Amino acid sequence: MNLKNRFFKLKRDLNRWSLLLLLILGIVSVPILTIGFKLFGGPGESWNHIVDYVLFDYLKNSFLLALFCSVIVILFGVTTAWLVSRFEFPFRKQLEWLLILPLSVPAYIMAYAYAGVFGYSGLFSKLMEFFGNGDFRIEVMNIYGLSLILSISLFPYVYVSSRTFFLAQATNLLEASRMLGISEFKSFFKLIFPLARPAILAGLVLVLMEVLNDYGAASYYGVSTFTTGIFRSWFSLGEPETAIYLSAILLLIVFGLILFEKWQRRHLNFTAAKTSKQNYNSRIKPKKANQVWFSVICFVPVFLGFVLPVIQLLIWLKQTFASVWTVEFISVTLESFGIAFLTASITVLFALLLLFFTKWNKIELLKSSSKLGVLGYAIPGIIIAIGVLIPSLYLDKWLIEKNITSKLILNATLIALVYAYVVRFLAVAYQPLESSSLKIDRSLSDSSKVLGKGNFKTFFKIEFPLIRVGMLSAFILVFIDILKELPLTLIMKPYDVNTLAVKAFEYASDEMVSSAALPSLLIILTALIPAIFLNKLLLKNASNS
Amino acid sequence: MQKIIYLLLISVFVIGCKSDNKKETENELTVYTHRHYESDQELFKRFEEESGIKLNIVNASADELIQKMNLEGEQSPADVLITVDAGRLYRAKSQGLLQSFSSKLVDSIVPNYLKDEDGQWVGLTKRARVVAYAKDRVDSTQLSTYADLATEKWDNKILVRSSSNIYNQSLLASIIANQGEEFAEEWAQGIVENMARAPKGNDRDQVKAVANNEGDLAIVNTYYIGKLLNSEDSSEVEAGKSVNIFFPNQETTGTHINVSGIGVAKYSPNKEAAIQFIEFLLQEEAQNIFAGSNFEYPVNPNVEPAEILKSWGDFKEDNLSLNKLGEYNKEAVIIFDKAGWK
Repeated sequence: MNLKNRFFKLKRDLNRWSLLLLLILGIVSVPILTIGFKLFGGPGESWNHIVDYVLFDYLKNSFLLALFCSVIVILFGVTTAWLVSRFEFPFRKQLEWLLILPLSVPAYIMAYAYAGVFGYSGLFSKLMEFFGNGDFRIEVMNIYGLSLILSISLFPYVYVSSRTFFLAQATNLLEASRMLGISEFKSFFKLIFPLARPAILAGLVLVLMEVLNDYGAASYYGVSTFTTGIFRSWFSLGEPETAIYLSAILLLIVFGLILFEKWQRRHLNFTAAKTSKQNYNSRIKPKKANQVWFSVICFVPVFLGFVLPVIQLLIWLKQTFASVWTVEFISVTLESFGIAFLTASITVLFALLLLFFTKWNKIELLKSSSKLGVLGYAIPGIIIAIGVLIPSLYLDKWLIEKNITSKLILNATLIALVYAYVVRFLAVAYQPLESSSLKIDRSLSDSSKVLGKGNFKTFFKIEFPLIRVGMLSAFILVFIDILKELPLTLIMKPYDVNTLAVKAFEYASDEMVSSAALPSLLIILTALIPAIFLNKLLLKNASNS
Repeated sequence: MQKIIYLLLISVFVIGCKSDNKKETENELTVYTHRHYESDQELFKRFEEESGIKLNIVNASADELIQKMNLEGEQSPADVLITVDAGRLYRAKSQGLLQSFSSKLVDSIVPNYLKDEDGQWVGLTKRARVVAYAKDRVDSTQLSTYADLATEKWDNKILVRSSSNIYNQSLLASIIANQGEEFAEEWAQGIVENMARAPKGNDRDQVKAVANNEGDLAIVNTYYIGKLLNSEDSSEVEAGKSVNIFFPNQETTGTHINVSGIGVAKYSPNKEAAIQFIEFLLQEEAQNIFAGSNFEYPVNPNVEPAEILKSWGDFKEDNLSLNKLGEYNKEAVIIFDKAGWK
């Protein structure tokens, strides 16, 4: 195709959605591109040393970690999602939202709690003493323990995305397969698992991004990963350039993962599974004995990821409450809630815009580059902070030079903080939205358009009601993530704003882990609010539609 | 939907209330600090009350703050930078982020080796990196120097945290400065061979591991022992009681010390207040709080350290210029990597 043709094609395909998409994409990818440009500066002088001595170790550990976590997360996430959406058993309703809760425990707090439970004179050794085997210890502070801890705190991503899919999945497919005499178990592997693959992978990509950029837990457990390496080259070697270089490599790996996820579903037309009437009474009632087993299976990850760490935190709280508690915690809790609520709403809005502008835009190149916008989640928070600080300071300085303002108006204000959060967590909102929009039968919106309704009208009348469930999931996930967020918050927050995560960090980094119990428990409590409230909404909506 | 909108409005309101008082006045001081101890909050409050100057606190790791100051350039609101080690102050200084200041009071209080030769920063508190040994298993006459820890005698006995930790880096930097790079390399190698387990956890965890017989010697900072002994957790107190403190290198260069220190930012909008703040932190009232609640050694010689610290007795400090810790920091990390000290 010659240049002229291309130009005409571009001109033909260009619509206002393309421009709007470009705008949104521009807004969210400025920090990511800023980091990308930094690459041309090359790494710092210690790069060769890193390649010679430590890079292999970083790669190996990160790879193993990603591998172990994928296995455990799929095991926990998909099994539980399938059980709660297909079967009826005792406490199913409660377990449905309990299974989201492990997400509310920050991974590094989970790491401390597990080190406490399995440490010397911890809960576990007391239990063993009770059974007369006091010397028996399980060492959790290694790569296996780390994999388990990251998995149990992150499996809800896969749980949420697969459950969203299972809930909306046409039951008639399953009915048909049952009528043909295929067992529920078999049809899970033959039918549901392959169909749910994109949803599972969407959740898994989130988990892997988070696993790859975990710093707190890995460094406490003494596992050198890519991200601990990023921190080490910045903090210990004093070379931010090298740190940015390393994160760019990490970014490429993650981008590869995302492309792979897209590629593996290239031939599959998932819109085929029609969202016909969802009948909630169609849950199968297994035999009594099996029912108990199902409850137990679903409770295991809740116990490991929520009950156990919370018990440990409560023990610590009992020791430290008197010395830690101040009235200030009430206002800090309110602020954390407010910031998380506000930012989660904005993030979900951005994700929606990104998703639908991409859909309505006709330029192929733009369609495929929209994924650039969600890469922020794979970048460690402090690197995002640099990516946000550079352009926002540039703008601030320009405003001062032009005498429009007299001081920094973006930097160290909520605007910059919220912006940084949006860039960082867009992926968390985008993935569930995307996977729920994939299930919408395309013929629905197509017919609406044939009938002369515009994109907007079609969206509000047809698509919006259908992806509401996905939107709520997205909101909860981002909300919880922001409550836990630390490195970005520390460097970008306005002076007089405090969050619970910051409070928890202050104690933990001072090696006063037990004093961090109060703010940690408050994070968990605050995260409970939307998790329960929105889960109710989710069920109500699902049963109405 | 309506409920959500209400919540949204409430959120905006709550945050709005918090962030409208952003007017920067003459009477404000912006503190970039890596310290996040409770004692500091107390100090900041007292300073505000006594001076009438409002403090804006930005709390993050020194490296992030240095990066932030670098990006902000002349517009940086920072007046002072507080770090928990001398190496970071050296780094800030060498990137041109600090400025010299003079104060007779500071000169009269702080001995020369605890401050920058160009007067760009000054130490606030001292911490020593010492050996905590198992009371019941180790004869203290066996202990002598840091170098001795790397000998075969202590095979499989040593507990120490990751080399990503700044205190380990500073210790090795001091060894490079005192005994040369080659010696430092051998030393790091020797320690790695003597480790009872792969490095993990923090300083407190090393002491707990000694208490539970995983090894005999832990290389830790003094104030963590003080904190263990004063912990609300009875198992931590027991761990603290199971060890004694040994100050290495008493016959040679002296025990390695580091400072938590403060410098005046290059583009400080309020330098006078910054100096006033520094003077406040060095005087007896503030130094007593540092010493009392955080078990650090005060730099002000008129202030006594906490009882626990006194019970360990006086010791000879390494008088190496603390700038050297910063100068050799990078070499130290590279040596750690080569030695396989995780």
